[in-house]
Amino acid sequence: MKQVLQNQQKASADVGRRNFLRALAGAAGAVTALQVLDALEAAPEQVAESLVPQTVTEADETADVLIRMQADLARALKKQPSERRWVMVIDLRKCVGCHACTIACVAENKLPPGVVYRPVIEEEIGEYPNVTRRFIPRPCMQCENPPCVPVCPVHATYTNAEGVVEVNYEQCIGCRACLTACPYGARTSDFGYTYAEGTPNADGLILGRDAADEYERAPNFEYGRPWPREAHGSPMGNARKCHFCLHRVKEGLLPECVTTCIGRATLFGDANDPDSVVAQLIHRPNVIRLKEELGTQPRVYYIV
Amino acid sequence: MIKRIVYGLGALALLLGLYGFYSRLFIGEREVNYGSYVTWGLWVAMYLFFAGISTGAYMLATLDHLFNVRLFKGAGKYALWGALVTMPAALITIAFDLGHMERIWKVYLSPNFGAPMAQLVWGYTLFLVVIVVSLVLTLRRPQTLSTKVVMSIGLFLAIFLSGGVGALLSVNASRASWHAAMLPAQFPIFSLTSGVALLMTLLGWFTPDDETRQQRVRLLGLAMIVLILVKAYYLWVDYSVALYSGVPDTARAVELVLFGQYAWAFWGLQVALGMIVPLIVLVQPRLARSGFWAGLMGVLVLVGFAVARSNIIFPALAIPELEGLTEAFHGPHLNIDYAPSLMELSVVSGVVGLATLAYLIGVDALPFLKKYEVTK
Ligand code: SF4
Ligand code: SF4
Repeated sequence: MKQVLQNQQKASADVGRRNFLRALAGAAGAVTALQVLDALEAAPEQVAESLVPQTVTEADETADVLIRMQADLARALKKQPSERRWVMVIDLRKCVGCHACTIACVAENKLPPGVVYRPVIEEEIGEYPNVTRRFIPRPCMQCENPPCVPVCPVHATYTNAEGVVEVNYEQCIGCRACLTACPYGARTSDFGYTYAEGTPNADGLILGRDAADEYERAPNFEYGRPWPREAHGSPMGNARKCHFCLHRVKEGLLPECVTTCIGRATLFGDANDPDSVVAQLIHRPNVIRLKEELGTQPRVYYIV
Repeated sequence: MIKRIVYGLGALALLLGLYGFYSRLFIGEREVNYGSYVTWGLWVAMYLFFAGISTGAYMLATLDHLFNVRLFKGAGKYALWGALVTMPAALITIAFDLGHMERIWKVYLSPNFGAPMAQLVWGYTLFLVVIVVSLVLTLRRPQTLSTKVVMSIGLFLAIFLSGGVGALLSVNASRASWHAAMLPAQFPIFSLTSGVALLMTLLGWFTPDDETRQQRVRLLGLAMIVLILVKAYYLWVDYSVALYSGVPDTARAVELVLFGQYAWAFWGLQVALGMIVPLIVLVQPRLARSGFWAGLMGVLVLVGFAVARSNIIFPALAIPELEGLTEAFHGPHLNIDYAPSLMELSVVSGVVGLATLAYLIGVDALPFLKKYEVTK
């Protein structure tokens, strides 16, 4: 009975929400919004088809940037790995400092406590009352001249054919030389913690320590293979860092932080493709890279 | 009497270390205070410290076995034995610092020789072999060409490896206060100083009190005075250049040492105890000839060096690479204020205990070390 009531409540809430959105869309005269709405009412597979152009390789210039990047990605994946050059562009004018990308990355890569790939640094400019804030997401810069690579004593850190700096977890001895060498603090070491530590495991608790633990010990899929957290095996004890979500990219998906960014402030694509969104942006005069004076040649560009 | 006290202290240190050994080997790195921002802590500092003593002690052994300095005839084997027990101490501390110490063989099978760390691992392995061969040769064929050739190789390795730890730090262009060519150049001098300090203690405390000992410790004491002054000059150069340059990151690391969270250790232990007190004692000929005082000054200089090594490591890492980075995300081991944990201190205590006991047991049990002979 209770269940039925809940279902009914949910159904009427759904209708209400839909009507509200319709009204909103109508008031704004946003036809596209209605199309999206209709698409949302369809089955999930239809949604995917109607939102993404039939051939994603041909998204037009006016399409949402996510769709354009999806098309850029599909085009890039048709090339040989050595012919593409992944870059990230972060538009600091659009970043609102919501930290959604940080959390999405934590979820995607199942990062344990103390491990972070993409913190958002907050910078305060000026003094009260003339004060403003700037938010600087900081993934791994995937440097073209990465200081973290030559210091690795066992070649566990290397640049792959697509220009992304990877860590071979099973090769890494955990010396943290690469953490010390990185000028961007972009690497963290995994000290083997889980979030479920300290969670009570009393009788009758649906989600006690065991259940939570089970989730945390389930594998993540970095570098395209499963990494369960068990018995101090990798990635515990290793250096870890952002890898542009290569496991997603390989499947034709954008990096998780790009998909999640509510302000469309993070962009991704193949800089070797002159038609890609990122290639068109990185040559603009208001683009900077962090600590350029070091000569590391980061592949992450910031629009200021 | 002194030997018995040192035996007792060594045993106590080892006992205190058992907790650290257990925690590191069976629980892992969870109880350490270093992390992803202060990437290297007390264990790396102590590794530099022990490796410095080992290479320095080897340099001094060459006075006897390579350069034939009459006064040091018979003292070389004690220096070599000192080098042999301190090198494993260095390697244990650095192995504990690795996230995956069970993979150390990878540095042998797939080394990146461009990385200072790989060069050092291979270098230390070779050095250990050279120390053992030197010991054997100096006992069996002290005056032969083969001994001199091996000792020459050892001397070269000792200098290269002491400089190598400086290179391990100075290649990090992102750590402004390390990134100076001066660093690898200074380290062999630091090693020599710690070698002299070790030999002052070994000869002062554990060899019979006769005229030869008085002359030896006096000479070592004079060398120590010069080396402390050179060390003081290096400190002045390093710190004044950093402060004068006005580049914030360099200056901030120095300010942390001079006036910040590490100031008590710098002024109290490194400068007052490790430099000024030995200087005052050693300039007095009567005290400098006394085995007890020379030995004690050796220990004080070594304590000062342990602190100096720490003051090279932690403060440079306590400056975040990007402003605001440390506030951007929170979690265990993401701190910038580093102080060694109890467990880290325990491990170091255990390693000091191990090395001390190994030295004394060797001197008491190994026939060639038991026999104390001098050339008049
Ligand atoms: S940002 Fe740091 S970790 Fe990433 S490639 Fe550059 S040096 Fe390496
Ligand atoms: S921590 Fe791992 S990846 Fe980093 S330098 Fe050491 S071995 Fe290489």
